[in-house]
Amino acid sequence: MVEAVSESALAHRVSPDTTYVDVREITERGMIDLRGITTDRKFMAAVKATLGIDLPKSPRTSNTWGDIRVLWLSTDQWLITCARSRAQSLADELSSALASVHSLVVNVSDMRAIIRLEGTRVREVVMKGSSLDLTDGDYTSGTVRRMRFAEIATLLHIVEDNVIDIYMFRSYADYAWEFLLKAARKGSEVAAFGSS
Amino acid sequence: MLLVTCPVCHASGDETDFHCGGQAHVARPATTDPVNITDEQQRDYLFIRHNPKGLHFERWRCDRGCGKWFHAARDTVTMDFKAFYLITELPPAELQQQAKGTWVEEFKRRAKAK
Amino acid sequence: MSGKPYRLSTGGSRIDRAKPIAISFDGKSVSAFAGDTVASAVLASGQKLFGRSFKYHRPRGIVGLGSEEMNALIGVGTGARHEPNLRATQIELHDGLVAVSQNRWPSLTFDVGAINNKISRFLPGGFYYKTLMWPRPFWKHVYEPFIRKAAGLGKAADERDPDPYEHIHKHVDVVVVGGGIAGLTAAEAAAASGSSVLLIDENPVLGGIADLTAGKIGEGCVADIVSAAEARLRALPNVMILTRTTAVGHYHHNFMMAAEQVADHDPALLAAGAPRHRLWKIRAGHIILATGALERPIAFANNDRPGIMLASAARGMVSRYGVAPGTNGVVFTNNDDAYLTAFALKNAGVNVRVVDSRARPDGDLVKRAIADGIEVSAGSVISAVEGTLGVTAVKIAAYRKGQGRVITERKVACDFVAMSGGWNPVLHLWCHNGGKIKFDETLGSYRPDTHMDAITAVGGANGTMSVADTLVEALAAGEAAAKSVNPKAKPSKLKLPKVEEPKRGALEPLWFAPATGGYNEGNKHFIDFQNDVTVADLELAQREGYESVEHTKRYTTFGMATDQGKTSNINGLGVLAEATGKTIPEVGITTFRPPYTPFSFGAIAGALTGKLFLPIRRTPIFKWHEDMGAVWEPVGQWRRAYTYPRGGEDKHASITREILSVRNKVGMLDASTLGKIEIKGPDAAEFLDRMYTNMFSTLKIGKCRYGLMMNELGFLTDDGVTVRLADDHFLMHTTSGGADRISAWLEEWLQTEWSHYKVFVTPVTEQWAQFAIAGPKARDVLAKLSPDFELSNEAFPHMSFKLGKLGGYPVRVYRISFSGELSYEVATPSNMGRGLWEAIIAAGEEFGLEPYGTEALHVLRAEKGYIVVGDETDGTTTPVDVGMDGMVSKKKADFIGKRSLEQSYLKGPNRKQLVGLLTEEPNDVLPDGAYAVREVKDKPPMQMIGQVTSSYMSPTLSRSIAMALIENGRARMGETISFPLEGGKVVKAKITDTVFYDKDGGRIHG
Repeated sequence: MVEAVSESALAHRVSPDTTYVDVREITERGMIDLRGITTDRKFMAAVKATLGIDLPKSPRTSNTWGDIRVLWLSTDQWLITCARSRAQSLADELSSALASVHSLVVNVSDMRAIIRLEGTRVREVVMKGSSLDLTDGDYTSGTVRRMRFAEIATLLHIVEDNVIDIYMFRSYADYAWEFLLKAARKGSEVAAFGSS
Repeated sequence: MLLVTCPVCHASGDETDFHCGGQAHVARPATTDPVNITDEQQRDYLFIRHNPKGLHFERWRCDRGCGKWFHAARDTVTMDFKAFYLITELPPAELQQQAKGTWVEEFKRRAKAK
Repeated sequence: MSGKPYRLSTGGSRIDRAKPIAISFDGKSVSAFAGDTVASAVLASGQKLFGRSFKYHRPRGIVGLGSEEMNALIGVGTGARHEPNLRATQIELHDGLVAVSQNRWPSLTFDVGAINNKISRFLPGGFYYKTLMWPRPFWKHVYEPFIRKAAGLGKAADERDPDPYEHIHKHVDVVVVGGGIAGLTAAEAAAASGSSVLLIDENPVLGGIADLTAGKIGEGCVADIVSAAEARLRALPNVMILTRTTAVGHYHHNFMMAAEQVADHDPALLAAGAPRHRLWKIRAGHIILATGALERPIAFANNDRPGIMLASAARGMVSRYGVAPGTNGVVFTNNDDAYLTAFALKNAGVNVRVVDSRARPDGDLVKRAIADGIEVSAGSVISAVEGTLGVTAVKIAAYRKGQGRVITERKVACDFVAMSGGWNPVLHLWCHNGGKIKFDETLGSYRPDTHMDAITAVGGANGTMSVADTLVEALAAGEAAAKSVNPKAKPSKLKLPKVEEPKRGALEPLWFAPATGGYNEGNKHFIDFQNDVTVADLELAQREGYESVEHTKRYTTFGMATDQGKTSNINGLGVLAEATGKTIPEVGITTFRPPYTPFSFGAIAGALTGKLFLPIRRTPIFKWHEDMGAVWEPVGQWRRAYTYPRGGEDKHASITREILSVRNKVGMLDASTLGKIEIKGPDAAEFLDRMYTNMFSTLKIGKCRYGLMMNELGFLTDDGVTVRLADDHFLMHTTSGGADRISAWLEEWLQTEWSHYKVFVTPVTEQWAQFAIAGPKARDVLAKLSPDFELSNEAFPHMSFKLGKLGGYPVRVYRISFSGELSYEVATPSNMGRGLWEAIIAAGEEFGLEPYGTEALHVLRAEKGYIVVGDETDGTTTPVDVGMDGMVSKKKADFIGKRSLEQSYLKGPNRKQLVGLLTEEPNDVLPDGAYAVREVKDKPPMQMIGQVTSSYMSPTLSRSIAMALIENGRARMGETISFPLEGGKVVKAKITDTVFYDKDGGRIHG
C-alpha cells in the first residue's frame, strides 16, 4: 500500500525575510467544525465530556485545555483546533458522543490555511487589510473574530499580544500570503502608529 | 460607510462586513397557505416594496461575523439606525407606531398571531 | 523670462538657507533651498509664469499659497513616475525634482493655443453645448479629439505606476482636521479630557496661517501658540498627528478618508520600502473641522495675469520663503486683513500701495498703514491691468458701491498685485455628508449651520476670524467632543493665552470691480480661473435662462474644476446675485463633493494592484496544472484548467484529444471547485424538499439524486447532486459558482422563514479535493488503486456512494456522471489531493488516462444535452423552459419558487424552450448567443425568436452541435430556423431534441 502524501496550502511558499513582522504558515493544527445548540444541556455536557472544556458561549472568545482550543464562530458554531494527527479521532469521538443530539461535527482540517503573524507591529499589519480596531483594549489574547481581510473572508485569532493567526479558506491562502508580503514589507511601517 | 451593529454577537463594523437583505417584515404567503394564493398576493410578495423617506425596516446579515440574520430600523434621510433587533422579533413598540404602509398591517397581524 | 531673482536677502521661516537644492522646471535648472515649494523656488528665480489656462490658454502664475491654488498646476516626476495637475504651491522640494508646466505648446511663453483667447468672443459660456452638437458624428471624430487636445490639463504617465500604495484603518474618539491654532487647541482640549485624538493636516508643518495672522501674546506673536501646543500634543500618548495628509472626504456615520503623502517629499523613504501614499480609512466618534478659511480673489478686469495673487499668498511668500512677488506692488482689498500684506512687503523693502474699495476704511491696520506712510487709495478699485506675461501697470479708478462702469482712471506702474476679497470658511468637509450652511452678512460668505453627524466646525472654518474668539471656541469644542464620545469626560483645565488683536473695520463685499469698457472689450473678469469662467459667462447664462445655480454651474462649468470651487464659489454666487437682483442665499448653493483636493488613483487602489487586484482561488491541484502548461479559465475567482495543450498542440487539438480520451478510454477532471455543503438534523430532509424542486425525503441512504433549485421567482439558480449520508444527514453539491451563494441561501431560509427547523448547514467545499474519473476504463483505473470497496455495477451502481480508501487515501466516491460515460467522482481531504491525483494519473497510464479541462467537460455534457445553469439559463429561465417539468414536484405542497411557476406570465404561450440544433452545414459552429429570427431580412430590425445557449464542434459526432432557447421550441421539432450573423452570413439549423449522443443512456451504466 502506498503511503498517502499530504501537502499544506502554502507548502510551496518560504517564510520571507523582507517583512517587519514574521509571516509563516501553521500546518500542524487540525480543525473540527462543531454545530449545536447551547441551551441543549445534553449537547453541552457531551461536548464537555469529550473535549474536557466548556464551549465558549460569549461572542468572539476562545477556551483552551491542553492542546485543544475552541474558537467561538457563532452562537451555534465553534471551530475546535487540536493536533492535526488527532483531528479525525476527536471528530469521531464527538460524533459518537453526540449521536442522539441535534448537532453537526465535521473534520475540516484541510478546509482552511492558517498564517501566523508574529512581532510587535502585528496589529498594525492586520489593520492595513481589516477595518477592525485591533488597538482597542477589547482585542486581548484569546479573541476570535471573523473578518473581511483585504478582499477575502478570514478568521482572526489573537493568540498572544504580539501573535495573530489568520485563518482563510485554503484556495485563498496564496492571495493572503501575497497581501501580507506587501502589507508587512519592511519600510512600510506606519510611523504615526508609534514604535510598538 | 455605514456603521452596523449585530444584535446577535454585538459586533460593530463597516457595512462591508454585513449584507443588506432588503425590506423586512414581508410575509411569505406560501408558508402559511400554499394553496390559496392569488396572483396579486404573489406579485406583491415578490415585487412590491416600500421606498419611504424616513423610517425603513430592513434585513441584514452579519456576513463576515457570526453569520446570523437580524433586523434593523433605519432613517433613510439621516442614515441613522434607530434599532437593531433579532430576526424573529418585531421592531420596538415606539418604532412600530411610527411605521407606515403595509408594515402597519403586518405588525398587527404578527401581534395577533402571537 | 522677465525680471531678476526675487529672493530676499533675509527672512523665510520655512527655508534653510544652509541647504541649497537644485530642481528642474521646464528643463531649466532652478536653485532653491530646503523647505521651498516649487512655487516659491520658481518665483524666487524671477519667473512668474507657471502654465496656460484650460480653455483660453491665457498665461497664468501663482495665485494661492497652498491647496487652494488653481492656476499653477504642474507635472512632477518623469516617465512612469510622472504625475500631472499638482499644485506648485504644495510640492516640497528634494534634490533633483523635475517639474514641468502644462497645457502649452510649443512653449510656455509662446503658445499656439492662445489663439483661443483672441477668438474668445466665439467661445462663450455654454460654447460646447451650443456649437458642437451637430452634425452628430462630428462629436466623436472631430470635435472631441480636437477639444481633448486643445483644452485640458497635464498628461498622465503611459506606463504602469511602479510605486507601492496602501490603506490603513483607524478608529479614534475625536478627529481634528486642520492643525492651525483652532485645530491644535481643540485637539489638546479633547486629549486633555481623555479622548483619543487624531490630528490631520495637509501641510508638512502645523500651524495653519498663524504665522500670517495679526495679534500679540505678551511680547510674542500668535505663531508662538503653535510651537508650544504642538510640543505638548506630541508628548501625549493618546494623540496621533498626521501631516502631509489631506482629509479628502466625510461620509456616513463619521467615516472619513484621508490621503497621506508618505514619501513624495523624500525619495529615500520610497527606496526604503515606504508606500508612496497611504489612504487612511477613519471612523471617528466626533469630528472637529478646523479647516480654516480661504481668501477669495476679486473679479477685476484681467485679474488672471501672472503676478496677481492673493494677499495671503504674497504675505506667505515673503515671510515663509523670503521671496518677494516683485519689486513694486499694489494691494487691492475690501477688508483690513490685506493690510498685513502691505506691512510685510514694506518691511521686506518692497514698494507697495493699497487700493481699498471701501469708502471709509477705519480699522487699526488701516490707520497704521497711513501712519507708516503707505499710500492708501480708499473708495477705489483696480479697473484695468496692463501686461500679458506679467503685470506692467494697473489702472486705479474711483468707485462707489454698486457702480457698473468706471469713468476716469489713473495708471500706476507696478509688477504685481496682491488681492483680497475677504475670507471664505472652508466648508467642503462640512457639506460632504449633508451639513447645512447659512449665509453670514458680516463675512460676506457662508458658514456652517446644522449637521446630522457628530461634527463641529471651529475657528476660520466656522467663520470666526478673531484669534481670541477662536481659542475659546476651539477649547469648548474639544471638550464637548470628548464629552459626546464619553459622557464622563472631564473638563480639560487648559489655560488659554491672552491675545491682543487690532480692531478691525468691516468688510464690504465686492463681487465685481468695474472697468471702463464692457465685458467683451478685451476685459475678462475671471471668477473660476481653473475652468476659465468669467463674470460675463455667468451673466450670459442668466440671460439665457439658466436660473438655477446648479444649471448655471453645469452650463458654464463654474466651480467644476479640480479645485471644486475653493476660491470661485462665493464670488460666482455674488455675481449671480447682483445679476438677478436676488440676495446670495436666494441664489442658492451648489454641492461640494469629495475629494477636497484630488488625490492619486494609487492611494484609492491601495495594495490591491497586480497580483492582489482580484483574489485568485487555487485548487489543491493548481501547481500540477500549472506545471502541465494548462490554459486557464477563470470561473468566478477560481482558476480552472481549461485544457492541457501538449507538444505544440493548439487548444482545439488538445480539447478534441481530451474529449475522445473520455469517450474511448478514460479522462480525469479536477472538480474540486464544486460546492459541497453538509446538511444535518431531524428536519434536514423536509428542509431539502423546501429548497429543491424535486423530492429528497424519499432518497435512500447511500444514494445520490440530481436536484434543481429555483429562487422565489421560479427561475433556476443552481443544480447539483445531493447524497444521503444518513437518515438525517446529507451532502449537497452545488455548481462551482454557486458554492458560497447556495450555502448562504440555505442559511437565510433556515434563519428567517423556517427558524423552527432543526437543521445545521456547514459548507465544506474546500475540505475536499474532488476529481471526476470518466470513460469506459474508469473502473479499471480505480481497481488498479486497490480500493477497499467493491466497484461492480451491482455493488456500486450509478447514483450511489461509497466511503473508503483508494490508493491509501481516505476517499468519498460518488458514481455520478456529467459526461454520459461511466464515471466516478472521488473526493479526498484537500491536503492529500495532489498526492491522490498523481497516484490516479500513474495508475491510469496503462489505460490511456488523460487529464481533461473545463472545455472538454462542457463539450461532453453538451453532447449529452446536460444543462449548465448560467449557460442554458439566464436568470429568467424556469425548469419548464429547459424541459425539466418532470423534476418539478407535483406532490410537495410548497417549495421555493413553486407558487411563482403558476403566475400567468410564466405560463404564457410563447415561452422560450430549450431545444437542440443541428446546423445544415455540419462544420458551421453557431456563435454562442446567436439570435434566431422569424424571418431573415436585408438588414435589422428582424424579429428574434430565441438564442443559442451553448454551441460546440463535437469531436464525438464529427459535426457541430448546439442548444438554444427558442419560442415554443418543443412544438417545432424538425423545423429549420435561421441565424443571421454579423457580416451577412445566415446559418440554418434544424431543431432537434437536446441529447445528441447515446440517446438511450446505456454508456453511463457501463
